[in-house]
Order: sequence, then C-alpha cells, then structure tokens
Amino acid sequence: MTWQAVARKEFDDSIRSRWLHGSTLFFVLFLGGAAALAFGFLLPDQFKDASNLFGFFVDLGIFSLSFPGLFALILGFVALSTSYGSITEERETGTIKLALSLPNSRMDLVAGKFLGRGAVVVAALLVGFLAAFVALLATGTSIGFESFVPMIALTVLLALAFVSVGLGISAVADSNREATLATMGLYLIFGILWKPIAEGIPKLLNYAAEEAGVGALENFTRVKIGLFLKYLNPLRTYETLVAQVYYGPARARLVSATTGEQLAVANQFAPAQGGVPIYLSGGAMLLVFLAWIVVPTLVGYYVFRERDL
Amino acid sequence: MAAIELDEVTKRFEEGGRLSRLVDSVRNAERSDDVTAVRNLSLTVEEGEVFGFLGPNGAGKSTTINMLLDFVRPTEGAIRVLGFDARDESVDVRARTGVLPEGFDVYDRLTGRQHVEFAASSKRLDEDEADVDAVLERVGIADAADRKAGGYSKGMRQRLALAMALVGDPDLLVLDEPSSGLDPAGAKEMRDIVTEEAERGTTVFFSSHVLEQVDAVCDRVGIMREGELVAVDTIDSLREKSDADSTLRVEVAGDVSALDVEAVTALDGVRSVTVDAAADSLTVSCVGDAKMAVIDELESQGLDVTDFETREASLEDLFLSYTGHDAPETDEAGDGQEAHA
Repeated sequence: MTWQAVARKEFDDSIRSRWLHGSTLFFVLFLGGAAALAFGFLLPDQFKDASNLFGFFVDLGIFSLSFPGLFALILGFVALSTSYGSITEERETGTIKLALSLPNSRMDLVAGKFLGRGAVVVAALLVGFLAAFVALLATGTSIGFESFVPMIALTVLLALAFVSVGLGISAVADSNREATLATMGLYLIFGILWKPIAEGIPKLLNYAAEEAGVGALENFTRVKIGLFLKYLNPLRTYETLVAQVYYGPARARLVSATTGEQLAVANQFAPAQGGVPIYLSGGAMLLVFLAWIVVPTLVGYYVFRERDL
Repeated sequence: MAAIELDEVTKRFEEGGRLSRLVDSVRNAERSDDVTAVRNLSLTVEEGEVFGFLGPNGAGKSTTINMLLDFVRPTEGAIRVLGFDARDESVDVRARTGVLPEGFDVYDRLTGRQHVEFAASSKRLDEDEADVDAVLERVGIADAADRKAGGYSKGMRQRLALAMALVGDPDLLVLDEPSSGLDPAGAKEMRDIVTEEAERGTTVFFSSHVLEQVDAVCDRVGIMREGELVAVDTIDSLREKSDADSTLRVEVAGDVSALDVEAVTALDGVRSVTVDAAADSLTVSCVGDAKMAVIDELESQGLDVTDFETREASLEDLFLSYTGHDAPETDEAGDGQEAHA
C-alpha cells in the first residue's frame, strides 16, 4: 500500500493551488467575520455566547434559516469543487499515467486522493474556525466548548462527505465535462430538490395505500417517513445534528421542518412520549453521515478499478 | 524467465458513450465502430535484452505498452511481465519497472524534485536508496530541480519522467517513444542512458516510429502494423534482408512509354517497375542479382540505356515496406505508370 505517497503528493499539489488559498481566505472571512460582526457589533452583551451564532436557527415552519444550514451549503460547494476533478483532470492531462506507472494500485490512488484532498479542505476549514475562535476570544464571548468542539467535528465530517461524493463522481465519469455536470446536478438535488421529493414520497405511498384498499396512512407515520428521507441528505443530517448538539434531540427535529411536521412531532418526540424513534435518532444520523463518507468513494473505486485509462 | 511474455493478446476498444453501448446491447446490435488496436499478439522478450518496438503511429504500440502496465486490459490473451501477471499482480510489475509513458503530463504545481520524491516514496525507497539528486543529475535537469514542473519544456518533462523511471534501479525499463520532444542532442543522451542501463543488465523495451533510434541500441526489434506483429528479428538479420534489395534507376534514349512493362516485371527477382515518361527513365526495385537481367531485357526491347545507377535499400526502406508504405523513391514517380510483381 502506497496511499501515503499519493496523499502526500495530493496535499503538496493542492496546497499550492489558488483555489485552496481562495477557499481558506473565504472560510476565514466567513467564520471569523461572522463571529466578529455578530459579537463585536450586532448582539448586545447578554447574548455573547457562541451558540447564538453557530447554533442560530429560525424555524417558523414556512420560513427557516440557520447558520449551520447556510454554512453547510457553502462548505458542500467548496468540498465538491475540490474533489470532482481529482481523477478526470488527471486522466485528461495524462498525469495519471505518471502516478500509475509507479507501483501505486488504483486503490492507493483513490484512497490517497480522498485523504489528500480531504486534508486540504479540512485544513482550510480549521483555519476558518481558528479565526472564529480568535474573534470569539477578542469579543469576550463565552464559547461553550462542549458544543463548539462537537460542532467543528461534525463540520469536518460534512466536508469529508462531500469530498467523497465529488471523488466518487470523478472516478466514475468519462470526462471532466461529465463530472462537472454530474456534480452540478447533484448539488442541485442536495440543495433544493431533495426536500420536495422527500415530502412527495409519503404522499405517493399514502395514495397507493388508499388505492390498494389498505386505508390511508396515519399522518404521524407519513411525517416520520418524510423526515427519515430528509435526514438521508447530508446537508440536513449536518444541520440537525448541530442543532442537537446545541438544543437536544427533540428540539433539533423541528429544525427546518415544515409547519405540518412541527405540529405532528412537537409533542410526540418529547422524552415523556418515548423520545425520538431509533431510525431518526442522532446515532442513526451519524451512521448516515459515515455512509456518505465511505460509500461514494468505495463505489467510485470499484467502477474505476475495472476501467481502461 | 522471460522479462515480457505476451500470449495471443487482443485488445478491442469499444467506441461510443455508455448510453450508445447500452442501446446497442438492448437492441442486440453488432458493434460496428469497435476498434481492434492489437490482434493476436504473441511476443517474448528475454531478460537483459534491449528490444525495439517499431511501427507507424496507430499501429498498436502504445496500446501494447499500456497493457503491460495495466493501464488498459486485454480483451483476450495473457500477459506476464517479470514473471508476474500483468493484471492481477500489476503493482509487483510496476515496483520493478521504470516507465516513461506516452501522452503523459507532469503535475504543474510540483517541482521536479517533488516528482522524483513522489516516485521514490511510491517505490518505497528510503533516502539513501533513492538518491534523488544523482538521478536528477543523470537526466540533466538538476539545475531546474527546484522549479515548478509546469514551467518545463517538453524535453525537460520527458527527462523528468525518465528520472522518475530510473529512480530505484528498475529491472525493466519500458519507454514509449522516449525521444519525442527531445532535440538531437537530447535524443543522443537518451540513447546513452538506455545503453548504460542495458549494460547493467536491465531489460529495455522501447517503442519508436523512427528506425534510426532503434538501430544503434537494440538487440532485436519487432515491427507492428495495424495491430499485428509483422516481423520480429535481430537488427543484423534485418539488415541482411535489406541488403538483398536494391533500387535501379535507368535512363534510356528513345520512347520509354513503348516499353513492355509486363515483360520486365516478369523477370526473376524484380519486385516493381515504375516508368517516368517525362524523364525518359524507369525505376526498378529488385534483388541485387537481377540488375543485369533488367538491363538485358531493356536492350532486347530496343531501348538504349544511356545511364543507370543503383542504390542499396536502407533499413529504413525495409521498415517502410513492412509497415505498408512504399519507399520514398517510388512515391515521387508522379505521372509514371506502376506495375507490381
């Protein structure tokens, strides 16, 4: 196994790319800037707590906005952009012939790419959080490490998940152009289309059940199916888990939920009512998250292994 | 143990995108646009040998080399390199093989030194074994080693890839068109390095579409044409064959177009006759011994021979005849008639 050599090469190469410098600068400005702006200027002293920014959620049902949700969209874009060309570009320029002339297996190449590119995005991200940390200290804001640190860890996992998705696309695509289009399409699905589809499927199931004469599905069941499908989206998984870190599981299930969902689950998921069902629990969502990190790269590898260069 | 063994190897490339392949397989249609790049290739290269792999562009040389390295997989047949299966044990093959691939590019943002260090760590060499500086020195880019390779010229990129191939002292060198992009002095240095490596006992397998490069360094050559191996022989034996061939150019007084070309062509040892009416001359390609018979035949047809010259066919002519191109002399006979025996 020589994936270390490939990962090292990837890191050395990417660390010099303008794209990385740009995204690092962006993370610094975005995370550090947001913290400085929020706690230095906007919020009064009694709100000087990191949770008021990194745990900022507005869930009015018809209107939802959250800092983690917004940041996840941006991070997803940066991570995808860092990885979607990692194999197709090497194939198009011919650098892959140098890498695979050496005793690197295709597994070494894919694993090395994942670690190298992942490390680059995570490094940029951590510099951003460092800037935020400095801003928090400078403004005398209480940090609350018991939620700040898990939040950063979740953000790192999100970055790796999207690096993995981009790498998987790159390994499967025939050309850079194909990889670009697939990445854009997938980003659109994660960012916009996932929600209506996840809401549509329980309705479809309900309709099918009625037609089959089994009778309509209970509203609560429909909502749980819908939520389960929504939580398969890594963006939503991240947002919900971050909310859980700050506000606990029951409250976190209301984040970004529709009014109908909020009404259905608000009381049912309270600890007194038996809490959150296992397949919607934080543990299950963590598994979904890990699957997004492992599966796309693995599938990409199996396809790439069988191909001619 | 043979260094390289190919047994009945065929490679067909499927053309078209995934969708068109899917549609065709659903319709059960014949794939008419598939390309057979290599057909039934069997070849053995012994250890310590310097083998030149010749053929025009598109003859299947690079595809063959790509199969040795597991860049592409044979459709049929078996390949063993240094005793390892080229597909299942490709990492073992490449651990002992230095490769200068065709159509490669360097990592623009990495320096020359970082490239060689990447090669060394991929080959699991420690610093002493690798001796990166010595290798950079040897290929002549030590001065530029700490510059980003994106700024290298084509020739420097070629040298850099050679450095990556040489690091760790491989048992086998596979060089695909090693001189492309190099100036004559660079090509000479490349040949010297090949010779040095061969003297150390390294097996060298290299491809070229230019015969001259092969001539000086190779023990044996194989000639590819349209995916098939049309000749495998030693350079000496090829030269003997080519010496047997010569070209005879005859100038005659009188109307050359009255010549009975068929009768000349029918003579023993004559391969082709080309008549150039405008210059009152004809060109005959024949074995050396047939020259007098040709002159006699012309005179017996009543044509006076005013002048004639013979030219021994070069190795180049032979190569061109193997690869399906006529020697340049016959191509020039623009308005002449041509008859082949």
